[in-house]
Amino acid sequence: MTLEDIKKLANLARIDMEEVEMGEIAKDFDAILAYVGQVQEAAMEGGTRGEVSKVSESYPLYNIMREDVVTNKEEEFTDKIMKLAPNTENGYLKVKQIL
Amino acid sequence: MIDLKSLTIENTHNHFKNGDFTIRELVDEYLKVIKNNNERINAYLEVYDDIDEQIKKAEEMFKGGTATILTGIPFSLKDNILMEGHIASSSSKILENHVATYDSFVVAKLKKEGVIFLGRTNMDEFAMGSSTQTSAYGITRNPLDESRVPGGSSGGPAASVAGDMALVALGTETCGSIRQPAAFCGLVGLKPTYGMISRSGVISLASSLDQVSPLGRTVKDTEIIFNAMSFHDEKDSTSIPNEMRIIKDKTIQKRIGIPRKFLSGEGIDKEVMKNFEESCDKLKKAGYELVDVDLPSIKYSLAVYHVLMQAEASSNLARFDGIRYGRSVESDKLYDVYAKSRGSGFGKETRRRVLLGTYILSHGYYDAYYNSALKVRQMIKDELTSFFKDFDVFMTPTVPFLPFKLGEKLDDPIGMYLSDLFSAPANLADIPSIAIPSGKSESGLPFSIQFTAPYLREDILFTIGKEFEKLV
Repeated sequence: MTLEDIKKLANLARIDMEEVEMGEIAKDFDAILAYVGQVQEAAMEGGTRGEVSKVSESYPLYNIMREDVVTNKEEEFTDKIMKLAPNTENGYLKVKQIL
Repeated sequence: MIDLKSLTIENTHNHFKNGDFTIRELVDEYLKVIKNNNERINAYLEVYDDIDEQIKKAEEMFKGGTATILTGIPFSLKDNILMEGHIASSSSKILENHVATYDSFVVAKLKKEGVIFLGRTNMDEFAMGSSTQTSAYGITRNPLDESRVPGGSSGGPAASVAGDMALVALGTETCGSIRQPAAFCGLVGLKPTYGMISRSGVISLASSLDQVSPLGRTVKDTEIIFNAMSFHDEKDSTSIPNEMRIIKDKTIQKRIGIPRKFLSGEGIDKEVMKNFEESCDKLKKAGYELVDVDLPSIKYSLAVYHVLMQAEASSNLARFDGIRYGRSVESDKLYDVYAKSRGSGFGKETRRRVLLGTYILSHGYYDAYYNSALKVRQMIKDELTSFFKDFDVFMTPTVPFLPFKLGEKLDDPIGMYLSDLFSAPANLADIPSIAIPSGKSESGLPFSIQFTAPYLREDILFTIGKEFEKLV
């Protein structure tokens, strides 16, 4: 991991950081990735033992949806939620120019 | 004077009924300890200002005959669990002034029981840590030895109970965050089956693993709290339907598996293992059959956990943008509002983990890390499912070592991660696990052992746990 790699990630993740810290993170990254890299080995090993089926087939997960209906009264939470926003105008969130 | 250390939920309820002391008298005792000790211990970030109203409501329940066993019981609340009208900050600067607009499912349930929430407690920022040293609001000390960490991320909740600043506590666990602080503070911590307790109103770390978890001095205390919160909730799409929760046959085989190889890795303290062997002997004498078993996949659990957690955390924390709520730093450009709000709002550990998660999920690395981790997670689940056909639980020490000194392991991320070595299999397999005190070291620090049971089988943990408590 180079400083440039970390800069790119910080940019993608929208996190402003000092260069010193990015340098430290680059070092930590190598140690952490070496450690978590075990998962590749383990997945391969499992694959050769025939234990790993396709995740999509064996993972007993399914989506739970609710009816697409309004469950709260109009404006029931609007005020409370808008109060948390740092910058508002006439009931809208205010942001810097996007385009 | 009330002997706070002798209190359990049950005997406190009886004291209330017998008029030995009132709810207010008990709460005042805790508030006195908080006033004297919290500045040093830093278990609480805030003591709530509506305690009087809560007491009044609980007293009325006793008068009106609607009191339950939890009415008037003083709780502390981890800073990532929402209570309407109160700040919930996940111990992060980015949520410093974030006032909850609604009650989390668990708080709503416990409010109905008339519990008293004394305040919110410290934690590692966004629950990222194992020692409560990454909080934006200072470290928390272990009340049993103030030069040591209380564990984490639920270090504040654990210190509040161990330090006589609450009778019981609610924390959360993603990987060890309730069991490890329970171990370090000499308490019982229960990590429930994933989906048993609604995550609605809990600030997310890694959504496929997060679970609200009770903490107390006894197994029975955690059982009572668990039962009061364990219901289906349509606001959490991963909540287990009520009909699936019914266990018809609760008989146990009295067979415990010991994953020997898993316990012989590097970095496991000799004293901890000696205590573990002694705990095993006690169970054998009590009529349990202990069998060495080989579970070859569980050694990968911690690595799998770190891949999934970082990936999920980086996605979950994308919501903090300086626009909708939380800290916002003024700037001319929209990009800078995002980057400066997040850069100054997140602490160091959080920044590092978000970057790691971003890397793991990026094009070209997604398959190598994230998809591999999902596959191995399934391997671990399969392995444990077949193991549980012949066993009630598997047993390990809760943590590989004793509570460490403040400041230790902060510059050694992998060393810190190893705190959760024995915790990870239960989180990845969605199964329940409990940490129970198992004696004290020569230096007076607490030992803890851990039982892990099949999916939905908290009942086994309560049965074996209560028996084990009597043996210690």
